This record gives sequence, C-alpha cells and structure tokens, in this order.
Amino acid sequence: MAGSTKAPSPPRWLLAELTYACPLQCPYCSNPVDYANISEEISTEDWKRVLKQSRDMGAVQLGFSGGEPLVRKDLVELVDYSHELGYYTNLITSGYNMDEAKIVALKEAGLDHIQISLQASSKELNDFIAGTESFEHKKVVAKLIKKHGYPMVLCVVLHRQNIHQMKDILDMAIELGADFVELANTQYYGWAHHNRDQLMPTQEQLQTAEAIANEYQDTQKGKMKIYYVVPDYFEGRPKACMNGWGTTFLTIAPDGLALPCHSARQLPNFDCPNVRDHSISEIWNESTAFNYFRGDDWMKEPCKSCPEKDKDFGGCHCQAFLLTGDATNTDPVCDLSPLHHTVTDAIEKAAEPSQTVEQPLLFRNSKNSKQF
Amino acid sequence: MSVLPEQALQLAPGYRLQWEEAQGMFVLLYPEGLIELNQSSAEILQVCDGTNKLADIVQALETKFETTGLEGDIINFLNIAIENGWLDQSA
Repeated sequence: MAGSTKAPSPPRWLLAELTYACPLQCPYCSNPVDYANISEEISTEDWKRVLKQSRDMGAVQLGFSGGEPLVRKDLVELVDYSHELGYYTNLITSGYNMDEAKIVALKEAGLDHIQISLQASSKELNDFIAGTESFEHKKVVAKLIKKHGYPMVLCVVLHRQNIHQMKDILDMAIELGADFVELANTQYYGWAHHNRDQLMPTQEQLQTAEAIANEYQDTQKGKMKIYYVVPDYFEGRPKACMNGWGTTFLTIAPDGLALPCHSARQLPNFDCPNVRDHSISEIWNESTAFNYFRGDDWMKEPCKSCPEKDKDFGGCHCQAFLLTGDATNTDPVCDLSPLHHTVTDAIEKAAEPSQTVEQPLLFRNSKNSKQF
Repeated sequence: MSVLPEQALQLAPGYRLQWEEAQGMFVLLYPEGLIELNQSSAEILQVCDGTNKLADIVQALETKFETTGLEGDIINFLNIAIENGWLDQSA
C-alpha cells in the first residue's frame, strides 16, 4: 500500500545516529530498547557516501547524534567533510568525555552548533537520571562551548522526576549562557515507553511548568530563546509527526538502516532499507518504507474524512503502533480516535501514587537492553 | 523590538544565509532550524552585512531593482526578522 504517486519533496534534514554506544543511562532514551543486539556500525566511508548523496538531494540541516556521537573516533573527520559539503552541522551530545581540545578541533572542522543535554538542575538528580556522575563536567563543557564561540542549545528532557525544577533549570541555562533552551517533555518511545508510568507528570505539574516557561520566555526575550515542547498525551490533537512522513526528515541509524523517523525501526514487517544496499535516492524515492505513509491513501477513519488531516497527517505512526498495535490507526493521542482511552488510561495509571514504589526505573544500558 | 534607523544590521551569531541549488531558493540556517526564504526576504537579508543601515538597505534594493517605494515592505520584514532573532542591530 504505497502513498501518493507524485514525486516526493527532497529531504532537508539528515539525522546521523553515529552509534548506540553511550556512557549515560537515561531511562527515557529514544534508542531502541534492544539496541545491544544491534552492534555492527557502518564505516567512515559509508557515512561519507550517505552524507554526499543526501546533500546532493537537498539535505542541509545535519544532526550528529546517537547514543553519544563523541564515542565515534571519526567524528571530527565527518564534521569536516560535512562542512565542506555545505551542511549546517549540529552536534547533539551529553558532553560526557568532551574536553577543550575536542571543542577546538570540532570548531576548526567547521562545526556550527552544539546541543548539550543536562538531566536536571541539581547534581544529585542529574547524576541519578543519567546513571553516571556527569553534572559538574557538563557545566564545565557548557562554559567551554560558549568560550569558543558556538551557539549553544541546552536541552533538558522533562518528566515527573525533574519537572519541579523548572525554575532552577531555566536559571541554570541563563548562568551557562545558553542561546536556546529546549525543554522537551518526554515522548514515550523506546526506553521512555517502557518507563512511562514512572516518568509521566501530572496535569498539575505540567500546568505549573508551562506557566514558568511562559514567564521566562517573556523576561528572556531577545536574550535566550526558550522552546517548551508540550507532551502530546495531554494535547487532544496529535503532532504533525516528522512534518509528514518522508517529506523532510531522514534518519540513518548506526547500522546503516534508513528510517523515516528515528523510532520507525520498531514497526513490524516494515523492511526499512539499509544504506549498505541502496543509494539515498533509491531509499527516499522508491522504498516501500518511505512511501508507506506519504499522502493519505493509507488513512482509515476517523482520519480519512477529517478536515485536519493535512495539518497533522494522522499524527505519529510509531505511537499508533505502540499503543494500538497497528501503525495505520489514527494516533490515539487524538481525542477523535476510537482508541483514545489507551492514552487517558495511561495518564490515570501513572497518576496512581503506588507506581513509583512498585516498579523502579529501568535504566538504559547494555545489560538491561539484552532482556528485550 | 523594531528596526532602528541609526544602527547597522547583520545576521545574528549562529545564523547563516545559503543558496540551495536542489530547492532553487535561499535558506536561513540556525541551530537545528531552517527557514525557506522567498526572493524578497532573501534579497533583504543579503544586504544586512553589518555595515548597512536601514536607509542603505532601501537604497541598495531600490537601485538593484530600479524601483522606488520599497521602504514600507522592507521595514515590515526587518521588524519580523529582528523580532525572531534572525538579525542583530549594532551602532
């Protein structure tokens, strides 16, 4: 069941997930829960071919991500090559094991921007959530990033265990000199889906956090841009996931799998193509996986006749699969979905006070990953 | 904040204006973001070089396109660009 037959728009965004290896163990990681079984990474030459072919098609924003991209020994070489090709290069890092020499080397290679993540505004909570002692080092790295003239995005993933620190997190961002702050409520894929009951905030916590974000957006206007990403479970309408499937975003996973979104690996019988076997042009234009949700031929009701279908494209297919078992269902975040109760039930269940005690967080590491 | 006539305009740090052959258009690039520009927006941003002030920008574009009366449209766009943090103003 392929989508529209008209030629797809070219990719604009390439997310290069260089490795699943990561020194941190965040229990909301979006990597696949069974990442430990996916070990063979593609080579430097494979990455260069992917970068060149994607750039030729029109990709211009490039994110180096993971896992922790600093783990890859060829990171500076890949940044250098990407800069030559004319990409705007973004490094999305935990900052772990970053030092001044690496920051300088990346700058010389042409890196345009660094996004560094913190897990909380206090050492105790940051190091608990990260599963690794890292708080003080991350703050040092953030200051070095600014010292060397990069624009800096500070990213903090929000959930029930840290959302009460909202004000302290924003004060910390100001102190560290962040140009942009991304306060992203946890999205429930991968490890976050497994730990959902322990991570989901209450409606009251969210309202308080949003009010604080709005207040700082006003007072920091013109100095620091604050993006507050609302959690779609509480929204009533789904997000326009990936700006529409196969329209803008291309993710390449560490093993060379090409994905229309970074969660698509989990969709069963999807047969995502691999860059070892196909060119980016074949993958983007011709593969079944990238064509699957293009256009609206795939839609069922209530999406098919919905006046908003060109706005949200039916929402997130990975979420539809995770919550309803069928990726072609309407994203159940939508309150028009007949299965919307899968979302409201989850919110109610997470609000039960017994949850955190009965089931501890499952941290993202190789040992835990091998259970899946 | 709106455009101040006595100050020079330039792209904010971290922003880059770039011609994209595949799309046949100029794009404005910044951390994790991309704005596809129409022709008039791209023309204005190209002359925001850190030395040109409002009057210089108007004159440069009116000369280039052999026309007059562009000031209103240019001010409207510059106000949006400044408000969004794409442009910095400096004395």
